[in-house]
Amino acid sequence: MSTPYNIVLGVIGSDCHSVGNKILEAYFTENGFNVTNLGVMVSQEEFIAAAIETGAKAILVSSLYGHGEIDCAGLREKCIEKGLEDIILYVGGNLVVGKVPFEQVVEKFQKMGFDRVFSNEGSLDEEAELLRKDIQERLK
Amino acid sequence: MIPQKIICVDIGSTYTKGAVFNPTEDRFNVSARAVVPTTVNYLPDGFYKVLEALIPGSGSKQAYDKAEFPVFFSSSAKGGLKIAVIGLVPEMSLNIARLAAFSAGARVCAAFPYRLGKANIAQIESLAPDILLFCGGTDGGNERYALENSKMIAASKFAGTIIYAGNNFVADEVAETLSNKDIVVTENVMPDFGKLNIEPVRDAIRKVFLEKIISGKGLDELVKKFETLPVPTPLAVFNLAKAIGENVKDWDNFAIIDMGGATTDFYSYTNAFHYDGETVMKGILEPILKRTVEGDLGMRVSAESTYETGTDYFGSIGFDESKLNELKNYTLKVSESPEYLPENEKEKMFDRSLAGACIYHSLLRHAGTIEEVFTIKGRIWAQIGKDLRKINKIIGTGGYLAAMGRNNEKIIIPSEPSTPCEKIPLLPQKFTYHADNTYILPLLANLAEKYPKQCAVTAIESLINEQQN
Repeated sequence: MSTPYNIVLGVIGSDCHSVGNKILEAYFTENGFNVTNLGVMVSQEEFIAAAIETGAKAILVSSLYGHGEIDCAGLREKCIEKGLEDIILYVGGNLVVGKVPFEQVVEKFQKMGFDRVFSNEGSLDEEAELLRKDIQERLK
Repeated sequence: MIPQKIICVDIGSTYTKGAVFNPTEDRFNVSARAVVPTTVNYLPDGFYKVLEALIPGSGSKQAYDKAEFPVFFSSSAKGGLKIAVIGLVPEMSLNIARLAAFSAGARVCAAFPYRLGKANIAQIESLAPDILLFCGGTDGGNERYALENSKMIAASKFAGTIIYAGNNFVADEVAETLSNKDIVVTENVMPDFGKLNIEPVRDAIRKVFLEKIISGKGLDELVKKFETLPVPTPLAVFNLAKAIGENVKDWDNFAIIDMGGATTDFYSYTNAFHYDGETVMKGILEPILKRTVEGDLGMRVSAESTYETGTDYFGSIGFDESKLNELKNYTLKVSESPEYLPENEKEKMFDRSLAGACIYHSLLRHAGTIEEVFTIKGRIWAQIGKDLRKINKIIGTGGYLAAMGRNNEKIIIPSEPSTPCEKIPLLPQKFTYHADNTYILPLLANLAEKYPKQCAVTAIESLINEQQN
């Protein structure tokens, strides 16, 4: 395998759920990614600063406390403004409060500029595979 | 074996100062002191005059017996060591690059984030810094900006030394692009995101200072004659702060303010973050010993800008409009004649107020902040920058603070911001003020690297404990 891809990971907003975040870090590291984990309570600016300095190919945003929509709005636009036009944005977790059908959640976050949207029930193996593919696709 | 007599000389931009120290087992006693105007055109002339005044017969250019008295010296002549820094994200690699330059005793004359434009290059050319500290990107991280910026620098007229301390994956390529320049490559200041690696850059800056910057000012002659290597004065003070923090009991949370006519230097020795279960650290964790330099805060050359910056502070210590106007006129007067000394009580009060503003604002800029964040687990605090709340001692040095200390003039150092801030600054809460009334610290500081323990003990004993906050 060639040089591992750099990715940035973190829990956005005023969210301090840290367990899943540690699992994601361990999983992606083990699967050959170079992970910069920003931990919990990460602002959009911090995600972008980390992605710029590390030359990351993707930002993986977690949100578990239901305020994902407010916290994530505008992230894509800010990335573009800071010269990260090509960065891959993933988001996952408990993204909204209440029983909204997941298809609607996906649609909402895709409109906000996220490339892929995950619920809290996905398979990490699939996710890693998708991420690798998406990065390779973007690099072409 | 400590020699019986040691001479320390500090070549400042205005005065060349010297002292003879008589070391004992555990401290250095001062036995003679001398001051002469700095001979700007040829620095050794003033240096020899000081030696002659300290030990008659020693100031001739004849052979020098090292066994009899070793000589240590520092220099901040010609404005000291001037560095421009280039980084990527302002809060990250650029901030770390600034910290590294400051902790090497330099003055940062400009800082550029992201991509260098033509205007930035023009600014670098006209400022003509001694060193261009070129950072940005983690190791294996961002390559684009370093590669693009190196081309811009290669095409510029910049003639000083470039220290590259960015993404090491492109170090070779950057060095190749800049092979027409004087370039030094060292380790990345931020190898991983948010991780500081300042020491290699400090070393590189020090080497450049010794190899390149001291030549041409006559300092190289002194190096040869006395077989000793000079340090930039602020680096000597930095070493002294480290020595005090590591060697003196009860001095593990303190600050040093070194105030001059043009700049105010602030050194803090305290842990940057104190874990308390309800505060989270954001951004970089700053080092235990941190130095910052404020180029717009000073007592003479920078008096006008100090007035502009300090308006709120002056209001908070009771200045009304007419008094503010008087102060403004005073700053206009003294900024044009840097040698000016206050002639009456009112002018002394103005100087005290200016000193207070320099201290307050350098403190505010040096300190980090916290802000309240509400989460589902309740309220927590997010901290950015360095927590100075545990600092319980502040040392004041530099000519003005020394003189004010001797005259028993009191300076007000607030522990709260003078105007309400959105984020709470982490200022020292309860501290004692210690004045370097004899202004011995910069001279003593020359010995801090070689004799840290004795030097630190002597420094603390020489201070006058003046006031309680």
